[in-house]
Amino acid sequence: MHQHYYKDPNMKISRHLFPESITEAIDLLRKGKGKACLIAGGTDFSVEIREGSNDFEILIDTAKIPRLREIELRDNEFFLGSGVTMARVEENEAIQRGAGVLSQACGWVGGPQIRARATLGGNIVSAQPAADAALALFALDARLTIIGPEGKKTIQIEDAYRGVGESAINSRKEIITSIRFRKHTEDEASAFFRLMKRKALTLPMLNCAVVVRKIGMKFDRVAIALGPVAPIPLRMKRAEESLNGKPITRDLIIEAAQISSEDASPRDSVFRGSGSYRKAMTRVIVTDAIKAALSQLNVEID
Amino acid sequence: MQKIKILINGEWKSGWARPGQTLLDFLRKELFHTEVKRGCERGDCGACTVIMNDTAVDSCLILALQANGATITTARGLGTPDNMHPLQKAFAEKGAIQCGFCTPGMILAAQALLNRNQNPSREEIKRGLSGNLCRCTGYEQIIDAVESASQQLSGV
Repeated sequence: MHQHYYKDPNMKISRHLFPESITEAIDLLRKGKGKACLIAGGTDFSVEIREGSNDFEILIDTAKIPRLREIELRDNEFFLGSGVTMARVEENEAIQRGAGVLSQACGWVGGPQIRARATLGGNIVSAQPAADAALALFALDARLTIIGPEGKKTIQIEDAYRGVGESAINSRKEIITSIRFRKHTEDEASAFFRLMKRKALTLPMLNCAVVVRKIGMKFDRVAIALGPVAPIPLRMKRAEESLNGKPITRDLIIEAAQISSEDASPRDSVFRGSGSYRKAMTRVIVTDAIKAALSQLNVEID
Repeated sequence: MQKIKILINGEWKSGWARPGQTLLDFLRKELFHTEVKRGCERGDCGACTVIMNDTAVDSCLILALQANGATITTARGLGTPDNMHPLQKAFAEKGAIQCGFCTPGMILAAQALLNRNQNPSREEIKRGLSGNLCRCTGYEQIIDAVESASQQLSGV
């Protein structure tokens, strides 16, 4: 009786441990021999565990490692611990000013309750092509510092992805400690746009993160990251190159948006809309995002 | 099983939690706080919202062991039928309740918002409640209720 409501909790998890340092966490993962997995905010994992679809038995929780929650700005570079939550990035004034695209992106993740728990590190290792925060980090050319049994390494965010939901970072062995990216210069601005069915608590049909740096009235460096139009978040390299070094004009932006649309391969999706619709809308979202970034640099394109 | 302690509605309570058990499940089955509602159990509806260490969270997306030692407020901790919290009163007065299932979560999300922002605009209220679904009222009355309670609480 009442089995649906009162089913037993998952019996697969045998232990839930709280290391107090990164070294201790790595050590516990090593001892877990592939059966132990890191957990941060747990907004994805708690559902997986409740449904019983997890294939790990020991949880190594990052909640009690203070270093993973730090936000620092040193020599014009941001260093964010992987355990920093969406809510903190969204509300951080230095990030709002110096890397606005990331604050905006984090503000779109889930609802307030989810943003209070979900972390940047989780957003990256879950390896979803539509992850808002990760998409912004792609546009910011973020680098990740990872500590594992073989020591420390730093990789580009692109290299952390293998496929849909498949991270190159093995959360049963290694841990992202910090995420770093350059603060915008005076001539640099960024914007995040999202196409969706509702205004909150919904998956994006398309999302776009743009960072624009100009010299005088020319594009100096443009980064355009788009999701979910491929198995991983995608930098629109051809579109970016079509702008770099060129004068800022309406026609050139439209052309770059057209190139982005050609390079995007969104699938037909029950949740996100048809592939052809989303491909067409890529033009709109890329154009709007570039214009919004330019507008912050006092360059208005109608 | 592990014994954990929670400061819930001003009172320390302890109970046995299983690794992997959600906070929602622990609160309802172990501590009998059934005012915390079980909705979608995947963070889509907000019915299970509690205030944990001053922040609204979905108790279905937190594991019980992660809440060990935390301070938690549920709807029962806000007011009683004889001595209702201004938010509870405003929800009743403005017709912000129909079936009532979303109400505990909705009121706690509103309370967490008012803790940070005493006089939120209607837009800010909508955003503050954007993690909570209501399938009855159409939201307008809920926003009215939060607006009215905020005015009362801040003495505007």
